[in-house]
Amino acid sequence: MNTARTGHSDAGWYEIHLQGRLEPRWATWFDGMTLSTTADGASVIRGRVADQAALHGLLSRLRDLGLPLLSVVQIEPDDV
Amino acid sequence: MPVALVDTKFFLPRSREGLVARPRLDRLLGTERRRLTLVSAPAGFGKTTLLTAWLAGPAAAGGSRRTAWVSLDEADTKADVFWTYVLTALERAAPGSGAAGLALLGAGQPMETVLAAVLNELSVLPDDVDLVLDDYHLAEGPEIQAGMTFLVEHLPPQVHLVISTRADPALPLPRLRARQDLTEVRAADLRFTHEEATAYLTGAAGLDLDATDVAALEARTEGWIASLQLAALSLRDRADPSGFIAGFAGDDRYVVDYLVDEVLDRQPDGVRDFLLGTAILDRLSGPLCDAVTESTGSGRMLESLDRRNLFVVPLDDQRRWYRYHHLFADVLRTHLLAEQPERVAGLHRRASDWYDEAGEPEPAIGHALAAGHVERAAELAELAIPSVSRVRREEVIVAWAEALPDEVLRNRPVLAIGVVGALMSCNLFDGVEARLQDVERQLALPEDQLVVHDSDGLERVPASIEMYRAALALNAGDPVGTVAHAQRANDLATHDDHLVHAAASALSGLASWTLGDLEAAHRGYSAAIDGLKRAGRIADVLGCTITLSDLDMTQGRLDDARRGFERALELAEGEEPGLRGTADMFVGLSRVAWERNDLAAAADHLRRADELGGSAALAQNPYRWRVAMARLREAEGDPATAVQLLEEAQRVYVGDYSPNVQPVPAVHARMLAAHGDVAGALAWAHRQGLTTDDELSYLHEYEHVTLARVLLAQQSPEARAEALALLDRLLAAAESGGRVRIVIEILAVQSLTQQDVAPLERALALAEPGGWIRVFVAEGPPMVKLLEMLARHRPDWPFLRRVLEAAKAGPERGPASPQAAAQPLIDPLSDRELDVLRLLASDLDGPDIARHLVVSLNTVRTHTKHIYTKLGVNNRRAAVSKAHRLGLLAH
Repeated sequence: MNTARTGHSDAGWYEIHLQGRLEPRWATWFDGMTLSTTADGASVIRGRVADQAALHGLLSRLRDLGLPLLSVVQIEPDDV
Repeated sequence: MPVALVDTKFFLPRSREGLVARPRLDRLLGTERRRLTLVSAPAGFGKTTLLTAWLAGPAAAGGSRRTAWVSLDEADTKADVFWTYVLTALERAAPGSGAAGLALLGAGQPMETVLAAVLNELSVLPDDVDLVLDDYHLAEGPEIQAGMTFLVEHLPPQVHLVISTRADPALPLPRLRARQDLTEVRAADLRFTHEEATAYLTGAAGLDLDATDVAALEARTEGWIASLQLAALSLRDRADPSGFIAGFAGDDRYVVDYLVDEVLDRQPDGVRDFLLGTAILDRLSGPLCDAVTESTGSGRMLESLDRRNLFVVPLDDQRRWYRYHHLFADVLRTHLLAEQPERVAGLHRRASDWYDEAGEPEPAIGHALAAGHVERAAELAELAIPSVSRVRREEVIVAWAEALPDEVLRNRPVLAIGVVGALMSCNLFDGVEARLQDVERQLALPEDQLVVHDSDGLERVPASIEMYRAALALNAGDPVGTVAHAQRANDLATHDDHLVHAAASALSGLASWTLGDLEAAHRGYSAAIDGLKRAGRIADVLGCTITLSDLDMTQGRLDDARRGFERALELAEGEEPGLRGTADMFVGLSRVAWERNDLAAAADHLRRADELGGSAALAQNPYRWRVAMARLREAEGDPATAVQLLEEAQRVYVGDYSPNVQPVPAVHARMLAAHGDVAGALAWAHRQGLTTDDELSYLHEYEHVTLARVLLAQQSPEARAEALALLDRLLAAAESGGRVRIVIEILAVQSLTQQDVAPLERALALAEPGGWIRVFVAEGPPMVKLLEMLARHRPDWPFLRRVLEAAKAGPERGPASPQAAAQPLIDPLSDRELDVLRLLASDLDGPDIARHLVVSLNTVRTHTKHIYTKLGVNNRRAAVSKAHRLGLLAH
């Protein structure tokens, strides 16, 4: 059943910078995360991941797009 | 085979026409293969294209190079699935190289054992093999990592690993690099240079561009091939290419977004709709796409996309199945999700229905889950469980159970019990009892609160609950509990629920066997075979027949054992040829013939077993065959070969659930003691911690009798006294347990030791109904004397005369001659080839054999090639067993 989805409390908020400007419609691709772009032509993906495995899954999806990774930073949660 | 294979994954993609020649990469890859070739770069860098061109290129033209190709996907992160694909690909490329490993894998052996067997075969392979793992990043994970490292470290020189991946594999790359064992092609190498971009755009893509345009495109895409391809598509038939390129170059959007938008915008509505609608599919075929997009003509659409290079990749030779290029599929999906989110669930639902009708439950359930339609997924899973279990892919069922919300299992007893069965098959026992209790709770509910799709399945649930409890008890080491639950399962099972009857009976039989209650064990296995026959599970009938006939022999019923094997063979005739287990039946018949001292028939059965090949044999057959052959060789007066075969048997030993009542090391110790190596036999007894004071149990009976024989072989008065006391105790235990075969043997040994014909007379009386002869003949000349003494008292006993004549005849023939002249081969092996052949029978690998003979590995391989040709075999195992059969390995 769904035991695999709970587990350790290593959930966290992350901000990921990519080189290149992604269309806003990619937001649906990064389920539940926000997508924005910066003036210098980078994309920023920001939001909560369930655990480390989910973070690595997200990174490998980004890898598959072929966009150079600029940074991955753990951040304070947004006020929800 | 536990894993159902997707054939398209072994398909080596043809190298596409209109390629840009890339001599600098060919130079980088070189013609001399290193141990590992790593092509590591992100998506769309032309990795697969490079490899297919390289493998088809002049390096392959030399002839004796073979390619084992696997296109990996996400499902291959599971170790058993991954290795099944890899070994099958090797087996297809170089027959004989993967079969032994696959059998060991199927028997659940540790990965190092499996890989050692494969490496052993590969090391003597005459040809070079490239093992290509395409899209390795999809499979890589903790489960396969250790095995891959082991493989890379031990690869023989004629086998080359080629990996294409988007992420560097967790293999010891620095070490390989330092040893010059690694060739790397990385993103920087794969990017199109200016020359290549020019050649591609103005040549292959047929565009009319000037140098400035090409330079602008190259700069904007940074030589990324996938985006250059998209750019070429966008440019096709454009009136103002330079204008387009200027716009593209001045934009900072993600190149693929920009270009796919451009390509999509230029497609007619029908094509655009088709692309978005089919973006959810992992594989594309005409009929599937028709169903999903509710249209017609998808087959033609796919062909036209293929012709126009619109990012479909053919998956087979017939152009039936395609997939989208991964990068393109990702972008298409974002378009679909953003533009037509309301369409997604329907697309998945129709894909699910199509796969369901096509009889492919796995993608049907996957799409149902993606559509958010959990009830439908649960229904499909419930109906698919019997067929998925039948091909032993229970791990798939476990994955479904993990994907389904808990609630749907709370009112679906048939599905819930199916999940329990799958968990137990995967050795996941935790929480199973709680699940069983929940199923019981469900059964107490009114029927209108339950959801049942497999209505026949519902009435089988109560018996299944008890059957799984029996299995849980056996696993927990509680044979008494096992028998009790199995009894209840049999009482509860509907009369036509043959599988539960069979499984419960077999569990009960197995538990009784470990308790030493052979009568009950026999009843259990007989009932299991009955049920399995009714259920049409003939392969399982063969497996159970081995146990039942073993029990028959233990209880002295040699003829029943023979009949069991013969009936099983008759049943197997109605099945596909070479049904797994068939070879084992012949090995069993050989044992019966050997016990009756019909050595010609015993040899004939072993030959039949061998000719059927590895796929007709259970995982235990390699060791059982060698034990049987060893006994035959000993009977023929060639104990040296016999001992060698037993040493091999210990190396290839694979256990199963049955208690190991006749361990190979004990058979080996017996043979050592009988032929003068008492010290070696004593060392065995010491290793096993066996003493004459041990409490006796049926499970160690054969070992204790062997201990007594070893002590007697010492020929000291103290040892003799100890042995006799032990034999007395063993005799009493065996008699009360009804184990006639060992009673006969103990009596024979006692009569020899005490030079007393009275026990011998009893032994012969017990042996007569079954026709046990070998047990007396094996004792050699001293037994002849004793039999003659008895014959004087009982001159008119025909059975005694038969045994006496057989014993007087002695070994059928002397040791086979190793001289070439005596070889039964048309083209005899040279002395050097015989040397190599003897080493092939050892566990040395290719380089060790070369060292041993002080020759190069290439010389060993040449000899091996000749040996295989002369013996008419294609792998090491077959060569060794054929050599044994022909008596070529005698000293």
